[in-house]
Amino acid sequence: MPASPGNVEIDGRRLRSERTRQYIIEAYLAVLRENPRVPTAVQIAERAGYSVRSLFERFPDLLALSLAAADHAFAQANAQAVIRSADADRATRIRTQVETRGRTCEQWLPLWRALTRNLHHSEELKVRVRRVREAVRLRLELMYRPELAAMEAVERQRTLIALEAITDFESWARMRETFTLSVEEAGAVWIRAIDRLLPPTPVS
Amino acid sequence: MAEPAQSPAVDGRRLRSERTRRRIIEAYLALLSEDLRVPTSAQIAERAGYSVRSVFERFPDLLSLRIAATDHAFALGSAQAAVRNADGDRSTRIRSQVETRSRTCESWLPLWRALNANQGESAELKLRIRLARELIMKRLELMYRPELSVLDERARKHTLIALEALTDFESWARMRELYGLSIEQGCALWIRIVDRILPPTPAR
Repeated sequence: MPASPGNVEIDGRRLRSERTRQYIIEAYLAVLRENPRVPTAVQIAERAGYSVRSLFERFPDLLALSLAAADHAFAQANAQAVIRSADADRATRIRTQVETRGRTCEQWLPLWRALTRNLHHSEELKVRVRRVREAVRLRLELMYRPELAAMEAVERQRTLIALEAITDFESWARMRETFTLSVEEAGAVWIRAIDRLLPPTPVS
Repeated sequence: MAEPAQSPAVDGRRLRSERTRRRIIEAYLALLSEDLRVPTSAQIAERAGYSVRSVFERFPDLLSLRIAATDHAFALGSAQAAVRNADGDRSTRIRSQVETRSRTCESWLPLWRALNANQGESAELKLRIRLARELIMKRLELMYRPELSVLDERARKHTLIALEALTDFESWARMRELYGLSIEQGCALWIRIVDRILPPTPAR
């Protein structure tokens, strides 16, 4: 059945509204990357090229905007971090995992900081942060399956906690900001540490 | 010429004022450890048993109070973390360092989080965070000197950065809050991973 003119109009409005929403999220992320302080509604609206009223028509408050940004980031990061080389040799797996994780940290650190800083304001934020942590953990389990499989349960859990700690956002941030390491050098620190934390790879 | 002696009344006033100041700092720290949200001046005053006006007579704003609390914590933390067993064998040094560091993390995590969340607002806060990190690095260098001495400069730097990240406040917080580990279990995990990260101890 052909679409009626009314439906086309509604679809167009919906599309525009979606686009506006998307621009506001991107503006929020862009302002965050330039300045670690939580952006104000005025700054975000100005960057997006809309009025503050438009912003609050799409998001009831800035917390709702930060939740939407978190969902957007999660989807993007998942798409960027497709699993590669999970069946490769140890060195390749470590390097691949570090490169992927380094890129994620490099790109999403400002948002991560904004989210974790406001964690106590919202249960929904906590859910998002937990989801990210779970995804990181699952990825570690997958990439280092051969080495982890050789360990007993307690030791495996300890190793996973250590791997998570070393490849955390703030660990990356410290290397880049405090120690002013390049992306490559920071990656080398992680590669070295992970290689030492993992047990020998069992012979397949 | 001899200095004129201060009157007992002036001394008493100064002493009372110092005590009030310290109680306000302690009230601020106590509130922080109960709730991650930055306490308000009314909450701090109430907890300390003074008026809001008294708080602002000692500290022009909450940032000054935060800085004073940091200095107070720094002094206390340094006293608690006196260097022990720097000449012990490998396992004694690792255990000693981990126990000291875990005590620091356990005591000062809420303040550390508040500082990091608010460092954007003050160069003085940033300076204190940098000083704390430098102290941690120096401590690691001192405690693991024999093992670090066998590494070339780059590997030594990478190892120190990894050790610092693994025994960071947030690494401790994750073990305690997210994974529900006890202090002993957290220490056991750190001891194990520090041992893995360090190269073999050279024979004397």
